[in-house]
Amino acid sequence: MAPRFVPNVFTKSARNPASPQRRRRTRRILASQGVFDAIVSLAGLIGRPVRNQTGQEIGRLVDVVARWSDGQTYPPVTGLVVRVGRRLAFVDAAAVERFENAQILLRTARLDLRDFDRRPGEVMLGHDVMDHQLVDIDGVQVIRAADLYLAEVLGRIRLVGVDVSTTTLLRRVGPRRLRPQPTPDRVIDWAAVQPFGDTGQQGAPEVRLRTSHEGLNSLRPGELADLLEDLRRNERQELLAALTPDEAADALEEMQPEDLAQLLREADPARAAELVAWMEPDEAADALRDLPTEHRNELLQLMPADKAAPLLELLGYREDQAGGFMTTTLVVANNGDSAAEVADRLAEARHHDVDIDAVAVVDSEGRLVADLPLLDLLFALRKKPDARIGSLVDREDLVTVGPNAPVIEVAKQLVEARRLSLVVVEDEKPIGRILADDVLDALVPTRGRFHFPRLFE
Amino acid sequence: MSRRPRFLLYLAAAGPGLVAAAAGNDAGGVATYSSAGAQFGYRTLFLMLMIAVAYVVVQEMVARLSVHTGKGLAALIREEFPLRWTTFAVGAFAIANLGLVVTEFAGIATAFSLFGVSRYICVPVAAVAIWALVLFGTYRYAERIFLLMTLVFITYPIAAVLGHPDWSKVVSDALWPHFIASKAFVLLSVALIGTTITPYIQLYEAGAVVDKGIGPEEYKYERVDAVGGAILASLVSISIIIASAAVLGGTGALNSAAQAAKALEPVAGQAAEALFGLGLLGASALAAAVVPLSTSYAVAEAVGVERSVSSSFRQAPLFLGLFTAQIIIGASVVLVPGNLIHLIVNTQVLEGVITPITLAFILVLANRKSLLGAAANGKVARWVGGVAVIGVGATASLLVVITVLGWFGIG
Repeated sequence: MAPRFVPNVFTKSARNPASPQRRRRTRRILASQGVFDAIVSLAGLIGRPVRNQTGQEIGRLVDVVARWSDGQTYPPVTGLVVRVGRRLAFVDAAAVERFENAQILLRTARLDLRDFDRRPGEVMLGHDVMDHQLVDIDGVQVIRAADLYLAEVLGRIRLVGVDVSTTTLLRRVGPRRLRPQPTPDRVIDWAAVQPFGDTGQQGAPEVRLRTSHEGLNSLRPGELADLLEDLRRNERQELLAALTPDEAADALEEMQPEDLAQLLREADPARAAELVAWMEPDEAADALRDLPTEHRNELLQLMPADKAAPLLELLGYREDQAGGFMTTTLVVANNGDSAAEVADRLAEARHHDVDIDAVAVVDSEGRLVADLPLLDLLFALRKKPDARIGSLVDREDLVTVGPNAPVIEVAKQLVEARRLSLVVVEDEKPIGRILADDVLDALVPTRGRFHFPRLFE
Repeated sequence: MSRRPRFLLYLAAAGPGLVAAAAGNDAGGVATYSSAGAQFGYRTLFLMLMIAVAYVVVQEMVARLSVHTGKGLAALIREEFPLRWTTFAVGAFAIANLGLVVTEFAGIATAFSLFGVSRYICVPVAAVAIWALVLFGTYRYAERIFLLMTLVFITYPIAAVLGHPDWSKVVSDALWPHFIASKAFVLLSVALIGTTITPYIQLYEAGAVVDKGIGPEEYKYERVDAVGGAILASLVSISIIIASAAVLGGTGALNSAAQAAKALEPVAGQAAEALFGLGLLGASALAAAVVPLSTSYAVAEAVGVERSVSSSFRQAPLFLGLFTAQIIIGASVVLVPGNLIHLIVNTQVLEGVITPITLAFILVLANRKSLLGAAANGKVARWVGGVAVIGVGATASLLVVITVLGWFGIG
C-alpha cells in the first residue's frame, strides 16, 4: 500500500512548507488574501435570518444551492432555500445583496417566493456536501467536509474551500454565538477537490461524477487505491466510473484484498468482470479467490473466454503454491526467432511490463530450454538485431519450479540462483513466471492487521 | 495471496447478523439473564419476549440501512443529522461502550473466581495481555480461542430442557403480560433491555454489512441473516432465563458465579462451574478487546485523525490513547471491592438507559424516504419501531425517575 500522505492543506500561516505532495498546484483562489479574508462559513449561515432590503427578517436559511457542472472550478451559488413560515421557498441568487457571517441580505423588499424544486446539476451544499466525503486531489486523501466556505469571486458568490479541521468541528458543536465565525485552520481550496453527486439518494449509483477532476488522471495507481479504500460505496463506484478500465485495473491491483473483494461485490457484475479481466492475471486470480464461489463464477462467465481461461487455470492451484501466485503473463520466444522479433513481441506486451523481466525460450516442441534476461536481449539488439535467440541463451542458467512447489522452495531457488524471477514449468512447458516481489508478498507476515468494520469512512 | 485473517472469512460466511448476535451474548448478557431467572423465576419472560421482538426489528432496520446506503450507522448519523446530534450520539456510544468494557473485565474476574484466582491478580494481567495482544497484532490468533470458548453457551438451551422447568408456567408467563411493581424489577428490566439491544451490536452489524459489500439486490438474503441471527440470540437468552429459573428460581438476587453456574448442572453435572467459567472467560476476553477498539475507531474517525492498531502512539495519539484509557478505566473499576455480578448487572442498566437514544436515531433514519426511497419503513414498521422506542424509552425513564426520587427519599 502506498504511504499515507500528510494532509495537504492551505494554511494561512503556511505551516506546511512545500511538501512533495503539493506538486499538482493549479490556480488557487484562496491563496489571495482578499478572498481569504472575505470568506463566509456555511455552517455559520444555516439557520440564520434572511433579511430584505429594509432589514426585516423574511425567513431563516435552510440551505444554499450551488451548481456543479458548467466546467467552472468554483461552483456558483444559484439560490437559497429559506423557511418562510412553515413553507420552504427558493430565493434566486440574483436577489441576494450579500452573504455575511450570520445573516443574508437581499436586494429587494418584495420577494417572489417559489417552492423549492431541485434542478438537475444542483446540489444542496448543507445537506449533500457538508459532512460528506470528498476527495482532496492534491493531498490524495478522502476528507469529510467540516465546513464549506463561500466568497465572492468573478462577480458571483461561489464555493471556494472546504474546512477539514477539528477546531471547526468544535466550533460547530460549541455555543451558537461562536458558530458564524470562520475558523480557517486547515482549508482545502475547492480547485483541489473532487466532489460527488447526491450520494445520499438510494439506488444504483448512476454516474454522477459530473465534472471529474483533471487531477485524477495524474494520480498513481497506489494513490487511487488508497482513495478507493477510504470511500464509501456510492462515492467509490462514482470515482471508479471516472477512470478508464486500464487505470482502474491498475489501481485495483494495489488495493487491500478485503477492500478489493468488497468493491467487486458492490460493482455491477459486468463492470467488475471487465475490471478483473484488465488486471494482471496473478492479481486477478487473487482477487477472484477472495470472492464467494457463486460470484467468482459469475464474473468468470461475464469475461471474454480468452481472459477467463488462464484465470481458471490459476484458480486451480492453492494460493501458497507456485501455481497459485505465479503470473501467466509470459513472453515466449522460439530458438529460431530473431532478437528484433522478440523485441516486437515485448512491445505488444508492454501493458504487462511489471510482470516481465525475462523471455522464456522454447524449442520446436514448446519445451522450455532457456530463460533470457531482458538485459541480455538489449545487448544483443544493440550488437546484432537479427541474431537468433538460440545463439544468445545460456542453457545452464535455467531456474524453474513446478506448479505445486511451496513458497519456501521458490524463495530458495531464487536466492540460490540470484535471480529476480523464475519460470514455472509443467511437463517441461513454461506455464508462468514468478517474480521476487510475488514471493515477498507471500512471505511477509500479516502482523498488526486488525480487521474491524469501518464506522465512519 | 490473501493477507486477511482467515478466521474472519469463516465468520463472514456465517453472515454479519449471526456474528453480531453471537457477540451479543457476552458476560453482561449471561449474568443478567441468569439474574433474571434467579430473582424473578419465569416472570421476566413476557418482557423478554417483547425485548426480543424489538431487537429483531432493530437489527433488521440496521441491516436495511447499511445495505441500501453502503454506509455504517455512525457515518449515516453524521451525514443526516446536525453535528451536535452526531456528537451526542458518539458520546452516548462511548459511554455505553465504557460500561461494556467494565462488564467484560468484571466477566473475566468472575470467570477466574470460579477457578480460585483473585481478581487483583487476574484483572491486571488480563488488561495488560489484551492491550498487548491487540497492539502487537497477535490478537486475531487469541480471538479464535476465545470464540471457541464462547460456544459453551450453546449448552444453555439443552440445560433449559434437562432442568425440567414447569413448562405450563413458562408458557403462561411468556404470553401473559405482567410486571412487578418494584424497583428491583424495573432495574432488571432496563438491564435486560440494555444487554439485549446493546448500541455496540448495532454499530458492529452495520459496519460488518458494509464491509461485506452487500448491495440492495442481495437484501433478501441479508434480512434472513439479520433476523435469523437476532432470533437465535434471543432464543439463547430466553433459554438462559429458563435454565436459571428452573434451578435457582425464587432464591433471590444472584450473588455469585458459582450460583449462576448451577443452571448448567443438568447438562454438565460436576463440570458445570468449569464449563461456565470457560464460556464466560472467552466471551469477556473477546469483547474486552473489540469494544474499546470500536469506541476508538468511532471517535478517531469522527474527528478525522489517524487510526490504526499498527501505528505508534506518536502517529495516532487519540486512537491509541483512547483504547489504552478505556482498558485502564475498565480494569480499575473492577478492582474496586464489591460484588462482581451486581457490578455487571448495573453496567447493563447503564446500557439500557442509553439504548433508547441509539434506537431513536436508527428509527428516524429508517423512516426517511429521502435516504432509503422505497426501502424506507412502511406504516407497520414505523408503528412497531415507534412502539419499541417508546416502550424502551419509557422503561428507562421510569428507572431514572425512581432513582432520582430515591435520592430525595421518595418511593
